[in-house]
Amino acid sequence: MSANVELAEKEIVADPVVEVELTDSLRVLTCGSVDDGKSTLIGRMLWDACELYDDQRDTLSKTRAINGQGDVLPDFSTLVDGLAAEREQGITIDIAWRFFDMQGRRYIVIDSPGHEQYTRNMASGASHADIAIMLTDARHGVKRQTRRHAAILHLMGVKSVVLAVNKMDLADYSQEKFEHISADFAGLTARFGFEKAVAIPVSALSGDNIATKSKNMPWFNGPTLVDHLKSVPPRVSTSEGPFRLPVQMVLRDGRDFRGLAGTIRSGKISVGDEVVDALSGKRALVARIGTMDGDLKEAVRGQAVVIGLDTDIDVARGDVLCGGAEERPSVVTKSFSANLVWLSETPYDSGAGYLLRTATDLVPIERLQVTALLDLETLAAQPSDYSCAMNDIAWAEIDLGRAAAVDVFDQVSETGCFMIVDALTGASVAGGTVRELRDGHEIEGDDEGEAFILDRALLASGLCRDLGNSAADNKEFMRRAREVSVLMKAAGIRVKVNL
Amino acid sequence: MNSQIDHLGMLEAESIHIFREAAAQFRKPVLLYSIGKDSTVLLHLARKAFWPQPLPFPLLHIDTTWKFRDMIAFRDRKAKEYGLELLVHTNQDGKERNINPLDYSPTFYTDTMKTVALKQALDKYEFDGAFGGARRDEEASRAKERVFSFRASGHRWDPRRQRPEMWHILNGRLGKGETARVFPLSNWTERDVWRYLLREKLEVVPLYMAAKRPTIERDGQLLMLDDERMPLRPGEEVKQRSIRFRTLGCWPLTAAVESTATTIEEVVEETLAARTSERTGRLIDHDEASAMEKKKQEGYF
Repeated sequence: MSANVELAEKEIVADPVVEVELTDSLRVLTCGSVDDGKSTLIGRMLWDACELYDDQRDTLSKTRAINGQGDVLPDFSTLVDGLAAEREQGITIDIAWRFFDMQGRRYIVIDSPGHEQYTRNMASGASHADIAIMLTDARHGVKRQTRRHAAILHLMGVKSVVLAVNKMDLADYSQEKFEHISADFAGLTARFGFEKAVAIPVSALSGDNIATKSKNMPWFNGPTLVDHLKSVPPRVSTSEGPFRLPVQMVLRDGRDFRGLAGTIRSGKISVGDEVVDALSGKRALVARIGTMDGDLKEAVRGQAVVIGLDTDIDVARGDVLCGGAEERPSVVTKSFSANLVWLSETPYDSGAGYLLRTATDLVPIERLQVTALLDLETLAAQPSDYSCAMNDIAWAEIDLGRAAAVDVFDQVSETGCFMIVDALTGASVAGGTVRELRDGHEIEGDDEGEAFILDRALLASGLCRDLGNSAADNKEFMRRAREVSVLMKAAGIRVKVNL
Repeated sequence: MNSQIDHLGMLEAESIHIFREAAAQFRKPVLLYSIGKDSTVLLHLARKAFWPQPLPFPLLHIDTTWKFRDMIAFRDRKAKEYGLELLVHTNQDGKERNINPLDYSPTFYTDTMKTVALKQALDKYEFDGAFGGARRDEEASRAKERVFSFRASGHRWDPRRQRPEMWHILNGRLGKGETARVFPLSNWTERDVWRYLLREKLEVVPLYMAAKRPTIERDGQLLMLDDERMPLRPGEEVKQRSIRFRTLGCWPLTAAVESTATTIEEVVEETLAARTSERTGRLIDHDEASAMEKKKQEGYF
């Protein structure tokens, strides 16, 4: 046994890192449960990447774990310990963020719990990820959990997945077993259409195929887990796609510069380009792209800038600037279908007030109708008009109190997502993605054919004649106007509100 | 061409996004300025976020009266240079009771002069959103922290009430009695902070650079004597050593490291090769198990 300790310790002495400038970063979601050896896998990656400090290494060296061959190794999982409250009370099993650098790239490991009761945590973790590592135990293969994870990753827009078939040391490093699991996995990923899906046989504890090629599995010709991660491009590495800049705020220089501050979420922009405000349809040219470090000629996805336009088209927070080349960007809508994951412990309540938070807008929700729930057994949408409770993944129809600018998630993911907020408590109760826009530009669009004009005078002379000029009365006036237009529309009348 | 921004550029843009979202959503935000290197980066990013306007919120410094003198001088100089509104708050009750780091346990002292003082100041000015420089890489309990971290009335941090955060959407709508702490540096690491200081040519408190300073050795740690208030124990002698600090706080509670790195470039080089984690220099953290998490639940930043 002591000989084994010596051997094992010799094996895990890693080379010091060569410091290089970081060029990019990759967000890696790890999903699986403790039983699959997830904490050990993350710990082992950290250990092998040699980004640990001496004090962490010392602490770890005092721990012991035994692998399938009887070798004594450090218990890598202790690197990934959680909150005391979590350990003691078993509540708020939460996603954890860890960072390590390897050969010019920052890895952001987003660690999410795997069990069904933590579906919401996994979904929120997945929303940040470029790639997901799904873990399974080689002795159990592709389980119900693996299938559920694949469904969630797909809905949250993760394009690249890896199945780490762990504990190969306990499965005799069997090629046959791995190939069987790999074939199951291929069937699963084909169903969801991931852009990249790879299965890798590993032993997290022994380090097989984590950072170094396993001597125990010479039959495997694929990359190690770490090599594979190195080859994956981050989600934000491309500035292709239509230009989108959700406006966060207006910043002024105290003279005549009125700048629209925001982060470019898709595409790129140059001085002189035409942009269009999605909500008003108004157009202008980019006169300036400002930053504190000086003006830019061009800015790309991911950059936080301040844009000056050649004419003032009255754009403010909540608006989205789009590329002018688009005839009429199909992003404005008052109703749409969506996928959502319910996050709150309080189920959906049709009597409660909810708000839709887009990139920078906050819009009242008039109606939310659940149409189907994800059946975790079959992974199919099961028609349902049942409400929505914690961890449910639902299909829903949403009507807004006014138009908002959102994209279809599959086309422009970063402006195609939203959260639902409880108006009273402020809590984030659900997160979701836009599937289909229902009404395009009808609300604010150009008139085609006759529309009934619902104007102020008409309402003031009858329905609203009990209202005065106070702010509260004005709000009530707007509410009634909106209600009337909704009713008329429901009756099939084209209506234009002109207040 | 597939132009893309580099790693530090991404971090910078993400922090600017967070600053703007918080400023747009909170009624009365404040930047908690602790004068250290993380605060220096935080302030720089805030200035970038709201350019060409001045900062739309004040800075708040919680002065325990035991900060290094160099820190206070640096604070006042920077506030003047950038034309910032600087608020300084000290727990007057604690000061009158002479709560100090020499006669009281680090836990009690920190709770009184930092945690309680911070709560007093936030209540006094009715701030509803406070920017801080905490990072997820600092230690285990922070690895799960949100960008917008909510506090119930009384500033208590309740793990159950934290909101899930998805994509880039930051929800700052407050419930009754709630306030928020905002962490724009959540996804930065210590190395990123140093690299960024270097890239942006930012000035830091001179204590981060090595110089000959009067020191004593106590409980295996090097302490610098910043003034006359700390009596020596039998056998201790004051020695001039070339030292610098990796973190800055109250001087009797902040251990130094021996170093000859006198320029920020040399410090960064030493730091990037460092083999011990940052907080080992901060004496309060060794006080009890899960110390940081407990402090957080009580309202420590």
